[in-house]
Amino acid sequence: MASLLIYAAVGIAFFWIIKFMIYDEVESRLMVEKQDFEAYVRSNDTWSNNSYFVENKIEVVPIFGKFKNEVAFTDTLISNRYDETADPFRQLTFYTLIGGSPYRVAIRKSMIESYKLIEAISAAMIAFLGLLFVSTLIFHRVLSGKLWKPFYDSLARIKDFDWTKNKPLETVRSEITEFNELGDVMEKMASKMQHDYRSLREFTENASHEIQTPLALINARVEQFIQSKDLGENHTYWIEEIYHAARRMSRLNQGLLLLAKIENQQFTEQEELDLSEVALNKLKDFEDILQHKDIRLTVQSTGSFRKVMSPALAEILLTNLINNAIRHNYNGGELRLESGPDFVQVSNTGNPLKSDPERLFERFKKESTGAESLGLGLAIVKQICDNCDLQISYQYHEPVHSIRIT
Amino acid sequence: MKILVVEDEKGLAESITDYLSREGFVCEVANTFWQADEKISLYQYDCTIVDLTLPDGTGFDIIKTLKKIAAATGIIIISARNTLEDKLKGLEIGSDDYMTKPFHLSELNARVKSLIRRRNFGGNNDMTWKDIRVNLPQRKVFIRDAETTLSKKEYDLLLYFLSNIDVALTKESIAEHLWGDNMDSADSLDMVYSHIKNLRRKIVEKGGKDYIQSIYGIGYKFTAP
Repeated sequence: MASLLIYAAVGIAFFWIIKFMIYDEVESRLMVEKQDFEAYVRSNDTWSNNSYFVENKIEVVPIFGKFKNEVAFTDTLISNRYDETADPFRQLTFYTLIGGSPYRVAIRKSMIESYKLIEAISAAMIAFLGLLFVSTLIFHRVLSGKLWKPFYDSLARIKDFDWTKNKPLETVRSEITEFNELGDVMEKMASKMQHDYRSLREFTENASHEIQTPLALINARVEQFIQSKDLGENHTYWIEEIYHAARRMSRLNQGLLLLAKIENQQFTEQEELDLSEVALNKLKDFEDILQHKDIRLTVQSTGSFRKVMSPALAEILLTNLINNAIRHNYNGGELRLESGPDFVQVSNTGNPLKSDPERLFERFKKESTGAESLGLGLAIVKQICDNCDLQISYQYHEPVHSIRIT
Repeated sequence: MKILVVEDEKGLAESITDYLSREGFVCEVANTFWQADEKISLYQYDCTIVDLTLPDGTGFDIIKTLKKIAAATGIIIISARNTLEDKLKGLEIGSDDYMTKPFHLSELNARVKSLIRRRNFGGNNDMTWKDIRVNLPQRKVFIRDAETTLSKKEYDLLLYFLSNIDVALTKESIAEHLWGDNMDSADSLDMVYSHIKNLRRKIVEKGGKDYIQSIYGIGYKFTAP
């Protein structure tokens, strides 16, 4: 586009330059003729239209009264003597005295040939510039197609690159050194990414292993210890505390490990799932507790919410939501599961939130100070939603809390 | 009944063998991959408990060898790794069960017993203790030969008790046995309490004794009064 503008500007400038030069040429010749005329008048002191100059190129008209002594160039059209067309002329008008009386003299020169010249040059210019423009356009396209092909191929491979897989990134080799260098750098970065990802993954797994094993030992020792017959009330209290703390720590560790795994996108398996169906299946696991807490369950479905995501994550997501809705419910309350083509919503009756709803999904944000709650459930839900392109929103219409996934 | 425990954490191996020995199993321990490899080629075991991560090898390789030379041995994996891939791989190469650390010894004991029962009798047997008889394939319970109807959870609870006679069981281990570990609220302990109450009532109704003994602060013990 810019080049098109430049071509147009060059063309126009060229046209004006040529026109200016032709005018300059014609005008200087007119000036020479004016001098010839004046020399003739000076020596003869008279002027006859028929002598010397032909083709009414000099017109001498007597004028009366005062005259301004000025010299002017004008463009004019004079009708042709032989046919009816009007031809362009350049005219030099000046005033002079012949035999003591004033005359206006106009000397003309035909511009027909000059105009033809300008037209010819302009046409040639336009043709050549247009040709040049088209050819550079084609040249560019062909060039970028050939030249940039390895670059675009490599770009496509980089876009497809998945650092959670073991397959290394291979960029396309070409004759262009810069592209090869870029490819080398990208390959190095990709393999570093894969390496870091692997070591992070191994670290989280190893850390979990290292922590779970001593916890397993504590649990096992406590279980052995409580088999002894002569435990006092004090002892059982302490033992219970130790046992609880160890279990809590183990669950905390598992929760954090799960969060890390979701963050690292270690759940790569993808399947199209109906989230409302997953929720319904999960609810079966909670039948006992719903009955125990005397919670009324309402299921309302206006369609199935289909989503491509990891089945394991979908289960964790809905288990945590339902668990949350039961934990913060009161006895004799209500749990509602609603679903439609683009949402799943879990609602439960419960006491109003004591804290800021904005912070509901933060880690270790607990509503109850109960030791059983870890404060990770909704953080995990949020993390899963973030990773699977799901939106989560919370609403409260007394006394019903709703969490909606869209 | 001989059991091999392959576990590199000595304390944990000791706890498991102590606990299982009390239940009448003969236990041997292998702390390393090579010890385990040697033991399985020399002796025959009814059940092997294998930790997946060992200092000099992986439990998967032990299971593969075991499947080649003694296919009848029951295999239970105990691992700190809680990934689905590991579980699937374990089942694929022929293990019977997968438990994630930390686990309850009582749960491990129940699973070992259930595994051995299935291996030895094809799952087709009765379980009898005092005046309680459980027909496993039909899931029927008889107290003094009179049938009593238990809910699914009460049945599971009774079986868990019968696998752990005379053993103090924590409320948490019972809750986890009945509902898995995603039911982590305080409510599940209340539910344990109500299921125990119902089970106790149903046994006593049919003329059985009250075998369920509460242990203050800890849980319950199934024992002859």
